[in-house]
Amino acid sequence: MSDFTLAPSPLAPRSQPLFAPGDWPSAPSAPSAFGCATLREISAPPRLRVLIRPSFVSAPPGRRVLLALLLTLPALAQDARQIVEEAQRRGRANSQHYEGVLEVTGSNGKVTTKSWQSFRIGAYGDSKVVIRFTAPAEVKGVALLVVNHQDRSSDQWMWTPAIGRERRIALQDRSTRFFGTDFSFEDLEERDVNQFDYRLTGEEAIDGAACWRIEARPRQGKVSQYTLSRAWIRKDNYVPVQYENYVKDQAVRRLRQTDIRNVQGIWTPCVLDMTDLKRNSRTVLRTQKLEYNIPMKDDDFTVQALRREQ
Amino acid sequence: MILLRLISLPYVRKHLLRSVLTTAGIVLGVALLVSMHSANRSVLQGFNQTVDRIAGKAQLQVSAGDSGVAEEVLERVQAVPQVRVASPDIEASVDTNLRDQGKLLILAVDMTGDRSLRDYDLDNPDEDVIDDPLIFLAQPDSLIVTRDFADRNGLKSGNKIAFTTMEGPRQFTIRGVLKAGGMASAFGGNLAIMDIYAAQKVFGRGRHFDRIDIGLRDGVSLDQGVAALQKSLGAGFTIEPPSGRGRTFESLLAIYTTATGVSSFFAMFIGMFIIYNSFSIAVTQRRSEIGILRALGATRGQIRTLFLAESAIAGVIGSAVGAVVGLAFARTLTRLTGDLMDQMFGIPNRVQEVLIDPRFLLLAVAMGVAMSMIAAFVPARNAARVEPIQALQKGRYQVLGAGENRIRRIVAVAAAAAALVCLPLGANRVIFYVGCLLTLLAGLLFAPTLSLALARLLRRPLKWIRPIEGSLAADSLIQAPRRTSATAAALMLSLALVVAQGGVARGSIESLREWMTGTLNPDLIITESAGLSSHDFRFPPGVQEELQAVPGVEEVQPVRTARIQFRGKPIMIVAVDLLRIAARVHRHVIAGDLDGMNRLAAEEKGVIVAENLAELEKIHLGDRIEIPTPTGTLRLPVVGIIRDLSNQLGTIFLERKTYARSFQDDTIDLFRVYTKPGVPPEEVRRRINETLGGHRRMFIMLNRELKDYIMKVADAWLGMTYIQVVVAMVVALLGIVNTLTVSISDRRREFGVLRAVGGLRAQIRGTVWMEAVAIGIIGLALGVVVGMIFLYYELQAVAHDFSGMPLSYQFPTGIVAMLVPVILGAALVSAIWPAETAVRSSLVEALEYE
Repeated sequence: MSDFTLAPSPLAPRSQPLFAPGDWPSAPSAPSAFGCATLREISAPPRLRVLIRPSFVSAPPGRRVLLALLLTLPALAQDARQIVEEAQRRGRANSQHYEGVLEVTGSNGKVTTKSWQSFRIGAYGDSKVVIRFTAPAEVKGVALLVVNHQDRSSDQWMWTPAIGRERRIALQDRSTRFFGTDFSFEDLEERDVNQFDYRLTGEEAIDGAACWRIEARPRQGKVSQYTLSRAWIRKDNYVPVQYENYVKDQAVRRLRQTDIRNVQGIWTPCVLDMTDLKRNSRTVLRTQKLEYNIPMKDDDFTVQALRREQ
Repeated sequence: MILLRLISLPYVRKHLLRSVLTTAGIVLGVALLVSMHSANRSVLQGFNQTVDRIAGKAQLQVSAGDSGVAEEVLERVQAVPQVRVASPDIEASVDTNLRDQGKLLILAVDMTGDRSLRDYDLDNPDEDVIDDPLIFLAQPDSLIVTRDFADRNGLKSGNKIAFTTMEGPRQFTIRGVLKAGGMASAFGGNLAIMDIYAAQKVFGRGRHFDRIDIGLRDGVSLDQGVAALQKSLGAGFTIEPPSGRGRTFESLLAIYTTATGVSSFFAMFIGMFIIYNSFSIAVTQRRSEIGILRALGATRGQIRTLFLAESAIAGVIGSAVGAVVGLAFARTLTRLTGDLMDQMFGIPNRVQEVLIDPRFLLLAVAMGVAMSMIAAFVPARNAARVEPIQALQKGRYQVLGAGENRIRRIVAVAAAAAALVCLPLGANRVIFYVGCLLTLLAGLLFAPTLSLALARLLRRPLKWIRPIEGSLAADSLIQAPRRTSATAAALMLSLALVVAQGGVARGSIESLREWMTGTLNPDLIITESAGLSSHDFRFPPGVQEELQAVPGVEEVQPVRTARIQFRGKPIMIVAVDLLRIAARVHRHVIAGDLDGMNRLAAEEKGVIVAENLAELEKIHLGDRIEIPTPTGTLRLPVVGIIRDLSNQLGTIFLERKTYARSFQDDTIDLFRVYTKPGVPPEEVRRRINETLGGHRRMFIMLNRELKDYIMKVADAWLGMTYIQVVVAMVVALLGIVNTLTVSISDRRREFGVLRAVGGLRAQIRGTVWMEAVAIGIIGLALGVVVGMIFLYYELQAVAHDFSGMPLSYQFPTGIVAMLVPVILGAALVSAIWPAETAVRSSLVEALEYE
């Protein structure tokens, strides 16, 4: 197995830190309305509330039970989607910067570490991200530009100073591992909520925090390496704390998001811990000096800028 | 079966040596056929295997000849809906500088997107054998080698190997090891993977790839994929399955394969004469047996079947042994052929195994048996016709019947006349080749008459040299014309082949010399590879200015030679500054005005084509030809046709800027450098090496060295055909040994009587020797004459059907002068053993013989 190969993993929980917020509920990069949200808003997303109408309340008890049964299932499905959208909304920011330390532990225990700086501009789905590696020396100066699109896969370029040129990364196989980490390129994309079907499958506590457990399956026409993804989203702050990705009902990757901090009003997990369950390898990303909504220029997110700022 | 056991087997036992010699003709013929075929197929298979293995799961490949595919084409390909994955690659070979390791094939790919096309089975996935993928991409010195290569050279991850890049010598770091098998077995395991963008720098590709490998979406057929891509990209790109590269290689190999095939069949044909001769002799020697068998009731059919069965058995044994011998030689020939393809076309080859094609082996054996039986058919028929009474009468059975002679001569004259009639109609290729066959037939039919006439002519000089021995030798030949003529015909055919091949070789060399004198006149030639034909590395355009700045350099002329597909064939584009080149060289103009053609082509109003391309593709002055380019089809008129020997399949000369724009390729393969008057080229070479050698990969040749190199390659090419010529000659010489052995056997009583009446052993020995020399002289005379005629046909075939290059008729005086002592010496050597047999045989037994 090559390091380049990307371990198969289904739908990806959008882990924000590497490039940008994930499509799934995203914690770090989304500007959160958490501070203003009421408990009711958190526990009953808007669309669900619309469903609970006076006519329903005034119906006879037997009929009420039937109506409740008929309405509950779609209501729960809608609920899951609303939760995801809300989580994304709360993670929104106009820009983001952090310093990341990536630690990859192979199945043999061998550990490699890399450091980078990440810059992100734009709203979720239309953002642009530049990552510049700062260590080790062999990769220092290597930079990545990712331009996300809502309706298609992102465009990506890489600048390698030792060769003195940029290259377009051909992401035809998005299951490819992201440069030897346990993330795949697909795991790093910002996803369109409309391309998945969501289902609230229960509630569960993760690290003592109550969470919704939501399943997402790609809709017909959506190409994904994963057949199913599960996310655990905290009820209190809408931060996803765990994802599991499946290929044909077999879990292949698990992402844990911990060390959740409120940064400028956005609840942000500062440690992302991805495990490749097939390879038994692990990648941990620790973010530091995280800042949101700092001034950035569009011009700094171009292929020319990759060269310029080496 | 009973007849075989009772009649044939004792005869074979009694004449074991002759049987072995007879079979040897088949052995050598089949061995040559098998070895040449196996070598050619092995080289082709080696190439195809390498292509298949490195192509991985790619269903189609997009290429644009040697000019490569510009980077932006990749996005256009990826945007085609039918395309699932498209990944670029660059392929080049480098000298490893490791002992006995030869070349290393570098496959450069984009590792971020290539995995869905190729399986990079790394040696130890648990240990992340590519130590770090990001470092692999970030560091241009990264290489992945195969386990096989690593083990053979004691290398492991982190070790370095060196080779010369376009930026001079560089160290490369092994950052991964591919598991053995699959792709790792391509090119005999001498494979390394490199990042494609690093390779662009290392090999001077600019912003081009060699190819784009494509995987299609599920449900899309190859035809649909090709159609969609062709529509999107235009006609300037070749879109074909990976196996298409094999077809291009095969067409380059074709000329050589055809030449070797013809020679192999020639050798077998010569072998037929030996069999014919042996069986003719056997029939005459066994007339008594035949007579007895017939008297005892054996039918004509049984007699004929008996001889045909003998020939079939000889054919089976000879072919089987020949197949084994051929396979044994195939390995060496495979290596030589592979080297030749590298030298001639710059296509490296590393064949690990010789292809054993059971079907072809069976075919070769069948051909050997069939030829053996065909050769034995006439003697078998003659045996069947023997009347029992006549057979039991002793007589001079070697005399040719007058009727038989007359019919043969009439047919020969008719064949010669028909061949002459075909000559003026030779424009029709079928008629031309029919004429060639008729000439061959006429030569063969005339052989007995001419042999007899020559034997009579030789009697006087032989007698003059040695009165007794000379007379006896000449009389032996005259009295046994059937025996003599078949051997002489075999020798004639082989020598005709030598003369014709020698003539073609001399014509080629003369033409090459003439072309080099007129065209290759720069003081220095600077290339990126040691071989002129390799296109693995290319100079960026800036090197021209660097060279021009070297003191002592007067003019630097850049040349780009790129192989492209033109009308389905891999021809050569030569892109130069035509007016500057024209001012320095002398061109042999075939059609058009020299100044005018250069001016028009320089103004991008036309192209100049080489004579051979014009001949092979029937292109005439003024024709508008279509050259597919990555930017669209280039339609330009032919403004001139010149003689050029750059490429066997043809050349088109384009103005450099036309090429650069149309093919989006401004790289350079070689520079023609003229030094200032009074400055020695050696000195300029030294200065260039000092100035640029440290940071540029370049090979600088003096004019003399360049010409020597080209002649060496030409010699290697021609040398391969000489191998078959040598084998053909060996077959013919075996015929002499066979004939003499029979002659001695037939004349045992004669020699016995001679010795009984006081003849000295030295005289007997001398008689046999002179007979051998006389056969050699007859074969030589006939061979040279027939060879001169063959040479004409061969030159015509080369000019019109193979390379399109008209070679001047040059009688190979040197080769013929060399043949005389070689053949006569070989004839003498081949007579030693028969002569000693004649001398040492028991006198009593000899007198009792018959």
